[in-house]
Amino acid sequence: MKNPLRKRYLRELKRDIGKYMVIFLFMSLTIGFISGFLVADDSMKTAYDNSFEKYNIEDGNFELMYEKTDRMFDDIEDKYADIYENFNKEFQAINSKTKIRVFAERKEINKVSLMSGKMPKNDGEIAIDRMFADNNSIKVGDTFKMDESEYKVTGLVALSDYSALFEDNSDMMFDSINFGVGIVTQEQFDKMSDAKLHYVYSWKNHKKNLSDKAKKTMGDDICKVLVENGDAIKSITPVTQNQAIQFTGDDMGGDKSMMMALLYIIIVIMAFIFGVTVMNTIDNEASEIGTLRAMGYTRGEMVRHYMMLPVIVTLVAGIIGNILGYSMFKGVVVDMYYGSYSLPTYKTIWNADAFILTTVVPCVLMFVINLIILNGKLKLSPLKFLRHDLKARKSKRAVKLPDFKFKTRFRLRILLQNKANYIIMFIAVIFANLLLVFGFVMTPILDNYGDIVKEQMFCKYQYVLKQSVETENESAEKYCAGSLKLKGKDDEINIYGVDKDSKYVKDMKLDTSGNEVYVSHGIMEKYGYEPGDKIVLKDKYSGDEYTMTIKEKYTYSASMAVFMSREQYNKIFDKDSDYFNGYFSDEKLEDIDENNVATTITLQDMTKVVRQLKKSMGSMMPLFSAFAMIMAALMFYLLSKIVIEKNASSISMVKILGYNSKEIGSFYVASTTIAALAFIIISIPACELFMRGIYLYIMNEMSGWIDYYVAPSVYAKTIVMSVAAYILSAVLQYRKIGKVNLERALKDME
Amino acid sequence: MFLQIKDLKKSYGTKENKVMVLHGINLEVEKGSICVLLGPSGSGKSTLLNIIGGIDSADSGEISINGSVIQGMNDRELTLYRRDHLGYIFQAYNLIPDLTVKENIEVGAYLSKDPLELDELIDVLGLTEHKDKIPSQLSGGQQQRTAIGRAIIKNPDILLCDEPTGALDYNTSKDILSLIERVNQKYGNTVIMVTHNDAIKNMADRVIKLRDGNIRKDYINENKIKAEDLDW
Repeated sequence: MKNPLRKRYLRELKRDIGKYMVIFLFMSLTIGFISGFLVADDSMKTAYDNSFEKYNIEDGNFELMYEKTDRMFDDIEDKYADIYENFNKEFQAINSKTKIRVFAERKEINKVSLMSGKMPKNDGEIAIDRMFADNNSIKVGDTFKMDESEYKVTGLVALSDYSALFEDNSDMMFDSINFGVGIVTQEQFDKMSDAKLHYVYSWKNHKKNLSDKAKKTMGDDICKVLVENGDAIKSITPVTQNQAIQFTGDDMGGDKSMMMALLYIIIVIMAFIFGVTVMNTIDNEASEIGTLRAMGYTRGEMVRHYMMLPVIVTLVAGIIGNILGYSMFKGVVVDMYYGSYSLPTYKTIWNADAFILTTVVPCVLMFVINLIILNGKLKLSPLKFLRHDLKARKSKRAVKLPDFKFKTRFRLRILLQNKANYIIMFIAVIFANLLLVFGFVMTPILDNYGDIVKEQMFCKYQYVLKQSVETENESAEKYCAGSLKLKGKDDEINIYGVDKDSKYVKDMKLDTSGNEVYVSHGIMEKYGYEPGDKIVLKDKYSGDEYTMTIKEKYTYSASMAVFMSREQYNKIFDKDSDYFNGYFSDEKLEDIDENNVATTITLQDMTKVVRQLKKSMGSMMPLFSAFAMIMAALMFYLLSKIVIEKNASSISMVKILGYNSKEIGSFYVASTTIAALAFIIISIPACELFMRGIYLYIMNEMSGWIDYYVAPSVYAKTIVMSVAAYILSAVLQYRKIGKVNLERALKDME
Repeated sequence: MFLQIKDLKKSYGTKENKVMVLHGINLEVEKGSICVLLGPSGSGKSTLLNIIGGIDSADSGEISINGSVIQGMNDRELTLYRRDHLGYIFQAYNLIPDLTVKENIEVGAYLSKDPLELDELIDVLGLTEHKDKIPSQLSGGQQQRTAIGRAIIKNPDILLCDEPTGALDYNTSKDILSLIERVNQKYGNTVIMVTHNDAIKNMADRVIKLRDGNIRKDYINENKIKAEDLDW
C-alpha cells in the first residue's frame, strides 16, 4: 500500500499555491538562465575549441621591422614550424575614431568564418568583422571610405585569430567598437597604401597536439633563432599568449564558477526558506504528527513526508529550467557572447554537466538542508508533539525586556519569536543587496576610471617612436618606455624612464642610479606591495629578470606602470645614456616623420577598456538589478508571510478583542518592517566589504587594474530598491492580516 | 497474562523540583478485555497510558506485552512496537485536516501488513456517507469515529484511548463508547481507556482507580453493562 499521506502533496500545493508558485518561478527562471548559460557556454566553447583545427589557427606569430629576406626562416622551418605571411595594413575608416586592420584573403592559416553575405571577389570590396560592423551600424551592402577609396561591405566575418578584437596584445582590454578587422582580395591588398604595413608572420608547429607549455617553449625556441639570426623582431607572440585568440576561451570558462555560486547561494536561501516554512507547518501540525508517531509512523517517514514538496518543487523547477535554458535563455546568452566576441557559428550541444549542476545538485542541496532542519525538528518524542512542546531546549523563562511601551515590547516579542526567519532574512538581504550593488556599481566604476585616466594623462600627445629622432618643438620631453611582465603573473607592466624634473610626470623624486622606483597604485593594490618591497620584472622574450625596490606608490590609473629616471632606465636596461624612444608633448609634433612613429597614445586608446566593458557588461547589469530586486521582494514576501501564518491564531484572537487590521499590522507587520529596514541598512557595509573582495577577485582574473569606486548613488539606489521590494511584501501582509478570520482562534480553542 | 506491568515508577523534574507521578505500579491485563483507568487530574493515568504506549519512558520497572519487554527498546524499536501492536485514540482527534475520512483511516491501514477491510470498517463506524469529507466538515463525534477507525484499521493488539469522550457531549460520548465496545467485541482488541468520567467504569471488564500515582482500587467488574446503558 502506498503511503496515504502522499495525497496531501497536491492539496498542500493548492492550499499554498502562491508560495510554491513564486519559489518555483524564481528557481526555474534562475536555473533556466544558468542552464542556458552553461549550454551556450559549452556549445560556444566547443565551437571555439574546434575552430583551432577547423580554421587552422596559428601556433604563434612574430612581427619584423622589415619583410623577410630569402632563406631567412630556413632554420625555423627545418626544425620547428612552417611560416606563413600574415601581413596587415591599418587604416582609419568609417569615422575618425575607428580603425580597421586589413588582411589579404586567407587560404592556409587563420581561416575566416563567413557569418553573412559573401567574401570579397573584386577590388573595392571588403568583408569586415561582424561585431565591429554591428557596433558601428554597418550592414552587408553598405559602403565606407578607407585609404582614400570607397569599399563595399560584401560580407560579415569572424577571423579565427581575432575572436577578441585586441588591437595590441598588451592592451588591458579589446575594443570592438573602435577597432575592427577586415579581409580584401590579395590584389586589392597589394594595391593599398603601405604606410601602416605590418610584416607579421604566423607559424604552425610541425608537432601537433602540443601542450600550452610546449607551445610556449616552441615560441621561445623560435624567438631564440630569430634573435640569433639578428632579425629585427618587433614582437613575438605564441598562441598561448595571444589575447586576440586566447581571451575568449579564457573568459568563457571564467564566469562559470561565479554563475554556479550564484545559483547555489540562491538554492541554499530557498532551502532555508522552505525549511522555516516547513518548521512552521510542523508547529501547526504538532498534534497530528504526535498521533502519527504514536501510531507507529517512523521519524524517517515523517521526514520524507515533509521533505517531499521542497524537493519535488526543486526537481520540477530544474527540469522546466533546463527546458527554458535550452529553448529561451540559451539564445540570450549566445547573443551576449556574440555581442562581445567575434565567434564563428556554433551548434547546440547537449550538456549533461549542465543538467547535473542545475538540477541534480540543487535537489541534493535542497534535500540535505531540509534533511538537517527536519531531522532536528522531528527528533522530538511523539509525546512532545502531542503536548505542543516543540522547543528542543526549553527556555526556563521568557526573555526579560526593559520597561518599554507595550507596543515596543510586543514587537520585540515577535522579533524574538521569529528570530530564525529574521536570521535567514538578514542573510538573504545581504545577498540580494550585493547583487543590486553589483548591478549598479560597474558602470560608475568604468565612468570614474575614464574620468581619472583623462585627468591623469601625462600630456595631449604621447608618441612612441620606432627609433630615436629629434624634434625642435619645445613642448616635447623625451622619455624611455618598455614593457615587462610581473614575474609569475600575466600582467604587462609599462616601464617608464622619465626626466628627473619632468614637467609631464610630476610629484616624484627620482634617482639617477640604483634600482629604487615608483610603482603605480594599481600594482600595489592588486598584489599588496608596500614601499620597500622588491618587485621582480621579467622580459617575456629574453627571460631576463630585473629586481627593483619600491620607493613609493605613484597614483596613475591608465596602466600598470613602474617609473624611474631616464638615467636609471638606460643603466638598468643597458641602453646608451642618451637613449629614448618617445616624447611627451602638449603640442602635435609636426617635424617628426610619420614613419618613425610607432604609435601615438591618445585618450581614446587609454579608455578602450571602459568602452568595451560597458559594451560587454551593459546588457548584463540591468538583468542583475532586476533579478536582485525580484529576489529581495520574493524573500521578504515569503519570510514575512510565515510570521503572519505562525501568529494567525493570535491575530484572530486580538481581532476578537477588538483590534482592527491596521492596529494588528502595527504589531506584526511593523516588527518585520523594523527588522527589514535594519537589515537593509546593516547590509550596506557588509555589501561594501564583500564587493571589495569580489572586485579584487575580478581584477585578479583580468590583466590590469581599474580603481574601485562606489558612487554615493549606488547605495542610495540599492536602499531604495530594497525598500521598494519590502513595501510590496508589506502591502501583501496587510492584506493577509485582513483575511485572518475570527473562527481561527475559536477553532484553536476547541 | 497479555499485559504485565511490574513496579513501574515515573517522576518528572530533578532534585528539589522532582515530582513522583507513578509510585511503583503493578498491573496485569487480560487479552481482549476493556480496562478503564480512572482518576482525577494528576493521578498519573495518562502517564501510565503513555508509558504503555511507548511514547513516554519509565524511570524503573518493567512492561511486557505478549511477552515482549518494552523497557530498553531504542527509538526505532519502540516505533516498530507501536506500529505492530498499538492503536491510539486521543481526546483531540488529531486528524490530518487535508485528508478525507477515508484517507485518514488509510493512514492507519498503511502501517499494517494485513489491515481490516476498509469499507466494512467505515460501515461499522457509521461513516459511509461522510467518507469523502474532510475533518472540518464533520461533527466532533464523526471526527472521533474517524480517529477510532484510523486506530483500529490495523487491528492492533491494544487500543489505547486517552479521554476519548472528553470533548464530546453526552449522547455522542455514548455513541463513541458503544463503538469502542463494538470494535472490542468484533475484533478482540484489548482496550485500555483513560477517563475521569466515573460512569464509564461500568462498561469495563477491569477497573483501576489511580490517585497520586498509586493504584487505589483494582477490581474485575462483575456488573458490566452495555455502553449504551451508561448514564451520568
